[in-house]
Amino acid sequence: MLKRKGRFSAYLRRIRSFSSEFFSNRLGVFGFVVLVAFAAVVAVGPRIAPYNPLSLKSIGVGPPFAPPSWIRLIDPSVPESDTFGLLGTDEIGRDIFSQVVYGSRISLFVGFSAALISITVGTIVGLVAGYFGGILDQLLMRATDILLTIPTLPLMIVLAAILGSSIFNLVVVIGALGWQSTARIIRSQVLSLKESPFVESSRAIGSSDFRIIFRILLPNVAPLVYVNAALTVANVIFLEAGLSFLGLGDPNHISWGLMLFYANEYMAAMRGAWWYVVPPGLCILLVVMSFIFVGHALDDVLNPRLRRR
Amino acid sequence: MCEVALAMGFREYLARRTVYTLATVFAVITINFLIFRVMPGDPVSILVAENVIRPEMIQEVRRLYGLDLPLWEQYLLYLRNAVSGSFGFSFQYRRPVMEEILDRLPNTIALMGSATVLAIVIGILVGVVSAWKRGKRADITLLVGSLFFHSVPVYWLGILILMLFAYQLRLFPTAGTLSRPPPTEFIPLITDYLNHLVLPMLTITLVLYGTYALITRNTLIDILTQEYVTIARAKGLSKSEIMFRHAIRNAMLPLITTIAVSLGYIVGGAVMTETVFSWRGVGRMIFDSVTSRDYPMLQGAFFIISFSVILANYVADVLYGVIDPRVKY
Amino acid sequence: MSQKAPLLEIESLKMYYQLKDKRYVRAVDDIDLSIHEGETLGLAGESGCGKSSIALTITGILPDNAKILGGKILLGGYDVLRLNEETLRRNVRWKIASIIPQSAMSALDPVIRIGDQIAEAIMLHETVSRKEANEKVRRLFELVGLDSSRTGNYSHEFSGGMRQRSMIAMALACNPKLVVADEPTTALDVIVQAEILKLIEDLRARLNLSLLLITHDLKTIAEICDNVAIMYAGKIVERGSTLNVYENPRHPYTRLLLASIPNLRGQRRKLLFIPGAPPDLLDPHPGCRFAPRCPCATQTCRQEEPEMITIKGSSVACHHAEEHL
Repeated sequence: MLKRKGRFSAYLRRIRSFSSEFFSNRLGVFGFVVLVAFAAVVAVGPRIAPYNPLSLKSIGVGPPFAPPSWIRLIDPSVPESDTFGLLGTDEIGRDIFSQVVYGSRISLFVGFSAALISITVGTIVGLVAGYFGGILDQLLMRATDILLTIPTLPLMIVLAAILGSSIFNLVVVIGALGWQSTARIIRSQVLSLKESPFVESSRAIGSSDFRIIFRILLPNVAPLVYVNAALTVANVIFLEAGLSFLGLGDPNHISWGLMLFYANEYMAAMRGAWWYVVPPGLCILLVVMSFIFVGHALDDVLNPRLRRR
Repeated sequence: MCEVALAMGFREYLARRTVYTLATVFAVITINFLIFRVMPGDPVSILVAENVIRPEMIQEVRRLYGLDLPLWEQYLLYLRNAVSGSFGFSFQYRRPVMEEILDRLPNTIALMGSATVLAIVIGILVGVVSAWKRGKRADITLLVGSLFFHSVPVYWLGILILMLFAYQLRLFPTAGTLSRPPPTEFIPLITDYLNHLVLPMLTITLVLYGTYALITRNTLIDILTQEYVTIARAKGLSKSEIMFRHAIRNAMLPLITTIAVSLGYIVGGAVMTETVFSWRGVGRMIFDSVTSRDYPMLQGAFFIISFSVILANYVADVLYGVIDPRVKY
Repeated sequence: MSQKAPLLEIESLKMYYQLKDKRYVRAVDDIDLSIHEGETLGLAGESGCGKSSIALTITGILPDNAKILGGKILLGGYDVLRLNEETLRRNVRWKIASIIPQSAMSALDPVIRIGDQIAEAIMLHETVSRKEANEKVRRLFELVGLDSSRTGNYSHEFSGGMRQRSMIAMALACNPKLVVADEPTTALDVIVQAEILKLIEDLRARLNLSLLLITHDLKTIAEICDNVAIMYAGKIVERGSTLNVYENPRHPYTRLLLASIPNLRGQRRKLLFIPGAPPDLLDPHPGCRFAPRCPCATQTCRQEEPEMITIKGSSVACHHAEEHL
């Protein structure tokens, strides 16, 4: 009874010290807040978005390329019938605000899933290569190196073009090509941990390799994994948006990148439809930067480095 | 990497790198082949579906592309073609792939090359100022700026710039590489070209300079904490003398290798920007080929991009071996 | 001792490092030191007691977070703490006082030839041509026992001992009056240590230099220093001629330090060490800094800081110094 209580309060203490350190990093806080906001939007989604951009009914709810209603506060000469909603409309009169909300779901979903694949594969590769060494290590590292040398964007473009644009394909393609940097980082950490006394003593006791890898090495590289995870998600979201912008996004769903694709296709720039261009891009920017900030804040907290004199 | 170089002497290092590079090129060629042959759907039926050829011609076309041969022989044929620079026939442009690529390559190099050079110059300047005034207002402002432009999606920035400078302010043309019809005389032609170049170049420069600024800044900050900098101060050197005589020279190594590597992206890096500005380069070509599923074109483009990246990495490796005085001969 | 003013005079110097939370680490807490021309002074103390900071402070080089809260430094007639950067650079640094740092590997710029780095110092302070400077570098190399044809080498091409010799050559480049050697032999193996020490002592005698030897190793001080000052927790606890202090240590810390050196000859005895932990320079308690670890500490020791008193030629800061005779 006492043991359980002791463990729990120790756990709470760790969370508290972690939080206080993490939240003292201003950029980290900013990133965290933004991400929480977006998470809320994703969760609540359809409830705040008045029109489902995927349903045919949402077409033509407003005049095409209509600016947002509040533009009248800045320029009262614009007639009310020409404006619509919070963020205006697109080329076929669909509500942009709804698209942004629905798009957040896709962008973040693809981001997380693909990142999950990358990180899992990368961590396993890093652990195995670093721990077992020898030929396995050489093979895996060669594969990683080759993948690193091949420019990923063109490769992804090619693969996505061939396989067809569906969310599933996107997730797989981005996930399958994003594991290299994680693998490298984990591997070098494992290499240095391998020689440490607690791993050696574990081996002396007779623990199986599997046990050593998953019970000892993994928890020790976990901080690195978390930091890398945040940065990987940022990267993946960026990539998905990029691929969608090139027309490789899933046309059955709406994502921020895809919105920009349509904006470009339908000459939003020429029509000065800034309400079509700014919101999706801004969302991408905010989410990516937030993950980067959070990642760096985590890095500062979890992997403290010597302060320079 | 530098430890590897130190341990084995330059000649060995060079040999190793060369072999490794050739192996990578080979791997890329093979991957290129596999992707397009192992994909679902047979290229000929796609051609038929796209109304490029008549159904009666299927056998003929199959023979032409060597599609009736076993995979193994197709691969050899492909290799032979690749080495001689022939990548097939483009569906949408109706000409040999390599021809179209070589036609467009100069435009991409002009765009990315100028933008990269500008980004490097600006980036290094910003980095030096940042490191010099570390922690002060100038540093923080520049840092935030660099981070911002580094994280912003390039196509978004491009559209915004296009909207503002081309459509709203009408300072620059809105699309294309040259006006229609293009001027016939030399000087107006060059001016017209440069006029069209400004906005896409601006976009890319903004997005790129951040990398160089950050690397320069971090490398310099790291160097400035080294003991030889303290000794230099004890000797009586001024801050600027230290910066330009010691710090920057030590920062050159990582900088130059970064620059060499990034030169590899000159060929393939402008896909998004060229799309937004309708710049007639390799990047835009990729975009169009994706939309029209022009596989031979994609294959050729992919190869050339990979090849230039690998080549640039190789040059960077060699350069590093030459520049670092710690690598023995 | 000559009646001339000392070459280096440090009076009541207080230098603290300021942390991010504005607290101060009292690295140098009110110390007095002086070195006359031709004198060698050894400054001894544990690692992290603040002595290395002194090497840089003497010529006015402080890291950004270091603050001088009081005191005076007179070097060769210059009031160092009140000079502007320009004068310090032109007249004081390297010309009056130079430094031989602990690790020559990190103290030499890896991408610039050693000869060029020394020539840089020469051309900074003397109006000579590049050729003349290079000639001087070659002579300096010979002076320290290095092959003068190798002035074009890079630092990674020299062995540890050779690097340290080239640092010595660099320190002597502008004919300084005072050389501050900051742990010059700590990073070397024993045989090379002896060689370098001998070199330093030879040069000092030949060129009539003053030497401030900062080290934690009492044996090196015994070998080449006329006088010694023992530092603890940012304060000087004992000072005097090496002979005096080593034969009759009066401060308990000095005694324990000397006693903890194992003796190769002589009787076998248990190895002494000083119990307790090094002092906290952030928030020092009142009273004598050494009291927590002192075997003879009394109530007075824990409440009042001892003043420096002179007994038979040495100065000691201990309440009970007179009793330990």
